[in-house]
Amino acid sequence: MNDTTGAWLQVRGLSKQFGGAQALSAVDIDIHRGEVHGLVGANGAGKSTLIRALAGITPADEGTILIDNEERRFATPRDAEKSGLAFIHQELNLVPHFSTIENVLLGAPKVKRFGVIDWKASRRAAVLATERIGVDFSLDRRVDELSVAERWLVMISKALVRETYMIAMDEPTASLSDHESENLFRVIRDLASDGVAILYVSHRLDEVLDLSDRITVFRDGRVTDSAVRGDLDKRGLINAIVGRDVPVVSREGAHAVVDRTGAPIFSARSVSRGSIVKDVSFDLHKGEVLGLGGLVGAGRTEVARLAFGADKLEGGSFELGGKPMTTRNVAHAVDQGLGLVPEERRSEGLLLEKSVSYNMNIAVLRSLRSVSALPFISTQKSKNRAQGLVDLLQIKTASLNEPIGRLSGGNQQKALIARWLTPKVKVLFLDEPSRGVDIGARHEIHQAIRDLADNGIGTIVISSDVEELAALCDRIVVLSEGRVSGQLIGDEITENKIIELSYAHDQSAPNHTSTDETIPGVPA
Amino acid sequence: MSTTTLATPAPVAPDSRRRRALLMFLSRYGTLVGLAIMIIAFTIKAPNQFLSLPNFLNILSQGSLTAIIAAGLTITLVVGEFDLSIGYVASFSGLIVVGFIARDGVPLILALLLIMIIGGGIGAVNGVLVTKVRINAVIATLGIGTMLVGLGFAYSAFPIASGVPAEFTAIALGRAVFGIPNVIIIMLVVLAILWVILNKTDLGQKMQAVGGNPEAARLSGIRVDRVKIFSFATAGICASITGTLLSSLLGSGTLAAADGYLLDAFAAVFLGSATLRDGEFHILGTLIGVLIIAVGFNGLSIFGAPTFFQPIFKGLILVLAVGLSTLARRYAKA
Repeated sequence: MNDTTGAWLQVRGLSKQFGGAQALSAVDIDIHRGEVHGLVGANGAGKSTLIRALAGITPADEGTILIDNEERRFATPRDAEKSGLAFIHQELNLVPHFSTIENVLLGAPKVKRFGVIDWKASRRAAVLATERIGVDFSLDRRVDELSVAERWLVMISKALVRETYMIAMDEPTASLSDHESENLFRVIRDLASDGVAILYVSHRLDEVLDLSDRITVFRDGRVTDSAVRGDLDKRGLINAIVGRDVPVVSREGAHAVVDRTGAPIFSARSVSRGSIVKDVSFDLHKGEVLGLGGLVGAGRTEVARLAFGADKLEGGSFELGGKPMTTRNVAHAVDQGLGLVPEERRSEGLLLEKSVSYNMNIAVLRSLRSVSALPFISTQKSKNRAQGLVDLLQIKTASLNEPIGRLSGGNQQKALIARWLTPKVKVLFLDEPSRGVDIGARHEIHQAIRDLADNGIGTIVISSDVEELAALCDRIVVLSEGRVSGQLIGDEITENKIIELSYAHDQSAPNHTSTDETIPGVPA
Repeated sequence: MSTTTLATPAPVAPDSRRRRALLMFLSRYGTLVGLAIMIIAFTIKAPNQFLSLPNFLNILSQGSLTAIIAAGLTITLVVGEFDLSIGYVASFSGLIVVGFIARDGVPLILALLLIMIIGGGIGAVNGVLVTKVRINAVIATLGIGTMLVGLGFAYSAFPIASGVPAEFTAIALGRAVFGIPNVIIIMLVVLAILWVILNKTDLGQKMQAVGGNPEAARLSGIRVDRVKIFSFATAGICASITGTLLSSLLGSGTLAAADGYLLDAFAAVFLGSATLRDGEFHILGTLIGVLIIAVGFNGLSIFGAPTFFQPIFKGLILVLAVGLSTLARRYAKA
């Protein structure tokens, strides 16, 4: 009965392209019933793309998915559901003001009697599902009153109330305490021994090693390793994630000679907020491109948010030009000399219907007045500034009056960088500066960032893309679970070291929960 | 062979391009075409009554009060908010300013200054409720507006000395410059000031950024809340001016006199947003929106249409103009 050749779920030759990038290339993966299958890999390695293809959210371009040796179509989320697959993403799709049982029932196929929904039978099924995984809180409690751990149990119950053979979980322990995690692991093991397959996606290698019967490692859209329990240890796992040590092809930043003896222009001093950012310190010197690296959720963007006063600091401080800065809000931070090129270009950066020059001038309107005491904008000054920047950054646009929405992504991004080219900006944060632009534009954007640094503007690049960080930065501070896990300067920088440091917390302190450990690579 | 097929352009292309251009033209200039058609039709039908300087001045005078309050509303819509209290602010202001002058003996200039400060203050309160307390603009402005209705009642319960001074009625009724009614001059001045603020100052640029993409504006260092509060205050001041002018025209402060301006203002502003621009709110458009309604009303009354036709016409023209322009724009892009 137990067919040794065919796994329950077989993925064969799955490929997916996004723009020019190969997100998945010819991926094979087998998932057996009753196994916990760990899925690991760096940011952008292809785990999410695989999950999204299985869930029917973004179907793959090529390849097949077989269940019980039978090919299935996964074109919509409904297809995945019908095949007995359930997906629990980090954002936990629950209706906050519904009770637990109501949320569980949302997942239930309705039991019908004489064509009418039998609510009693449906509720019974929901109660059974919650009992199966040991839910010990009242099912009448509203979901928004539950802890994150309890919400995970609601999501699992919601999957179990219908016929489910596999549950994929994305970073389930990201915001759970150790005790809560242990409880979740118990649930996972119980389900597996019941024959439910668990696809466990996590950056926390200790957990993955501990739980999984089989581990599949992704790198650059490919499966690089697949091993059963006992065949891999943590060292081997990291090596598989990182890959062979590629020398950095072009280190655009390598030529920069940075004088680090002078006072830094911007510093973080033991900056902290809750469990998201813990005791983060770094310096930024004049002429330097500083990279903030780490896995998604490691606290990179959160550090920037703290610097801009978007979130409240709970400990530590930022210093600008040697003076501590207090920031009430973004406008206040900008007044003091910070600038931000946001992560989401279209929704957070651009006014798509407005002209190129308008978009570039929006942050420096006051400096474009005809007479500084009067509120009137000089058309000539606005035009001159915009034209100068278009020439400087070689922004390709039909005219200064062209709506910016019509420009290519790369040129839009350059216009956003241009927005901050003004004497008042001393430190510029760039969040994922080359996301979604083609390789040529990416090079030009990097060149523009390099030029900024050479002109004395401190630049801080936040990026999930280790290749970008390695190519561009003079110094890289890597964060892991909210802490600085290491710092790389100049020739020390390689893509592999960045990835290794991204997992450093796991590596240095397995099952270690104390908060006062020393941080490697950062002088006190 | 393939070159020959490539050389012959697809037969539908120029046709659809022409159709597209026509639709684009209609979406931006359709309201103006409508206005022109009305003027031409009325001129042909009733050349003596319609086509005369006095009648044009009459139309402009009637539209002036709406134009001022609508221009203030335009500013709040530019920043992506709106204000349902303006009609009530106008009524309240009209009442209070008469009270100041006729009952309390406040000097005229001071009373006018005070009423504008009060109007601006009410607007600022709206703005603070919407931005800082984060109450939905519908609720905040409706709540404040409703309170003003009550306050107006309370205020009018005191006996107001009968008769307002002639200087006060002269504000609206006078013709100080070349025989042009003062209300028209005042309207043009107010609109010119708002146009300059919106188009020529850094504040105006910020307003457009806040309305276009609040998050981008915030991350560019614009104090979004402050810009919005200023916009609400502007709407309040404009409402006060309209209310005061109405009292000046009527020669008394009347309860709820200006409440109806709320809907007129909204109609004018949205007609204006379908004019010249793609659904953007702007001062010139608002003025054209006011004119469309005023010319239409004028024509209706010349032809002796019963008064119930007026609201029917107003509603119809609004739905038609905005609806058709939206449709035309959509098809032009499709």
